[in-house]
Amino acid sequence: METKKIFCDITKCVGCRACELACAIEHSATKDLFLAILESPRPKKRINTQFIEKDVFHSVACQHCDDPPCVEACMASCIHKDKETGKVDIDSKRCVACWMCIMACPFAAISRKAAAESKALKCDLCPERECPACVDSCPTRALYFEARKDWAKRKENKQLVNK
Amino acid sequence: MSKTFVIIGNSAAGLSCIEAIRETDRDSKIINISQEAHPPYSRCLLSYYLAGAIDKERLLVRSKDYYKNFNVEPLLKTEVASIDEKNKTLKVSGGRRINFDYLLFGAGGSPKRIDLKGIDKKGIFYLRTLDDADGILAMLKDVKEVAVLGGGLIGLRAAYSLSRQGKKVHVIVKSSHVFSQILDSESADMIRQQLVQNGIQIRTGLAAVEILGKERCEGVLLDDGSKLECQLIIIGKGVSANIDLLKDKVKINEGIIVDDYLRTSQDAIYAAGDVAEGYDVLEGKPSVNAIWPAAVRQGKIAGFNISGKKTIYEGSCRMNSVDFFGIACISFGIVRPQGSEFEELIHGNLSKNIYRKIVLKNNRVVGGILVTDVEKHGVYMHLALQKIDISDIKDILVDEYFDFGKVIPLIKRQRDSFLRPEYQDTCSTYTPPFLFNINS
Repeated sequence: METKKIFCDITKCVGCRACELACAIEHSATKDLFLAILESPRPKKRINTQFIEKDVFHSVACQHCDDPPCVEACMASCIHKDKETGKVDIDSKRCVACWMCIMACPFAAISRKAAAESKALKCDLCPERECPACVDSCPTRALYFEARKDWAKRKENKQLVNK
Repeated sequence: MSKTFVIIGNSAAGLSCIEAIRETDRDSKIINISQEAHPPYSRCLLSYYLAGAIDKERLLVRSKDYYKNFNVEPLLKTEVASIDEKNKTLKVSGGRRINFDYLLFGAGGSPKRIDLKGIDKKGIFYLRTLDDADGILAMLKDVKEVAVLGGGLIGLRAAYSLSRQGKKVHVIVKSSHVFSQILDSESADMIRQQLVQNGIQIRTGLAAVEILGKERCEGVLLDDGSKLECQLIIIGKGVSANIDLLKDKVKINEGIIVDDYLRTSQDAIYAAGDVAEGYDVLEGKPSVNAIWPAAVRQGKIAGFNISGKKTIYEGSCRMNSVDFFGIACISFGIVRPQGSEFEELIHGNLSKNIYRKIVLKNNRVVGGILVTDVEKHGVYMHLALQKIDISDIKDILVDEYFDFGKVIPLIKRQRDSFLRPEYQDTCSTYTPPFLFNINS
């Protein structure tokens, strides 16, 4: 099975950061925007909306790489790529916050949770949901949760605005 | 036909080699030799264990049934006595002779020993093995003050750990700055200040000349004549490759010289990890990069090659990450450039402990240091490893607002240099302006 992950159609992304907000809420204790704001530590997003050039934006999260550098770099061996689903997951319980994964990630998709017990954080594809919160929340439907070959097919069929 | 693979060393390189072989070959015999008695553990986590931040169970980086699951015969607490490279056989302690088709030599490194008057007293440790760490922990209750000799990664990580255990720690550093190997003086001073503010004494430009005390160490005499009281001494003066077993048998420089397939000058012997002198992409020459990620990569590729899946080792670069009292610092490649061909881009904000420095050569990134704001480190490092021309984004490269998004146009324009398929995934719907001007 091919890895399903989050793809962004740059031609549709308007940089509104709804995905970031939905991500942080999904990873909060209360899963409610107004209560999540009061949580301590505040929940953190794992997807980044970035500016590419004037009026061009995209959102990028963990790419669940075919050959993930973070897995090799982790000196606690707590990051694994699932053989079945292709998903790359951090076992938070074993993470010692050495930031070796951050050192190695080509997409800056891993961030630091600085708290009483610091941990590395990244996109976990929302294990409690069928479709990740960011994808569901995107108002322009710029985000897709699918495998690379389906994404390529979509491009071929010109379902994306741009080839 | 079933083969026999012997793997010396059960740390990063050895383990990833085993796993790479087993990806395609379930049946060949694998024998894993280690001189330590413990099941596979991560050496890099020892300082966390010493600090009391993690227990022994978390040091173990593989499951209890690892050897059984991977169908490997472990020979723990076993020394290799000799290797006969011509007849492809080796002898281990106890006299057993083992024939092999391929040997992975991943024997790691040993701490550089120092010769000091009084060095054989009790209470003097190197920090390399679990036994070293357990030895330190066992005597910790009688220790109030600690002297750490060496201001590198091992020394300062040990100092940080023991300080978190409530000990008064003095670090004695020969050079004028801490981390003189991996940081420049500006960032080193930021880290030093952070350590000092948290109660660790650091004295630079000094060396120990004698260890004082009767049977047990009671203090250190320094070369400026001053004395330092301490009941425990940790020596962190670097690591040298364990190459003795292969001396005169394969080509050796600082480490064991390997080719693009991690093969030594003997066809049946491969080397990986802290013993191997593999290609350093940013230095542009072979170098011993004794770091966990390089060892994993090398072990994996050696494993592919000895099990018949020809794979080229693309080379690594030097990289290190530290976090002391909540300040993170990561660096890679060339950080103290010497020569006019280099260019340095620097952004610093001392009051926020932020520092970003990127070193360029011919508009290619060759090194960098990030303090506090470390998340983008991998973006820079992969630009460097893939030798991307960054002229287009040079003016914003160390900017606060620089992020992966600013690299997207480069991926489109220098498509052939960005090798990971994920790069194409991120930018396939992006059209750079003036595309008709540019080969893409």
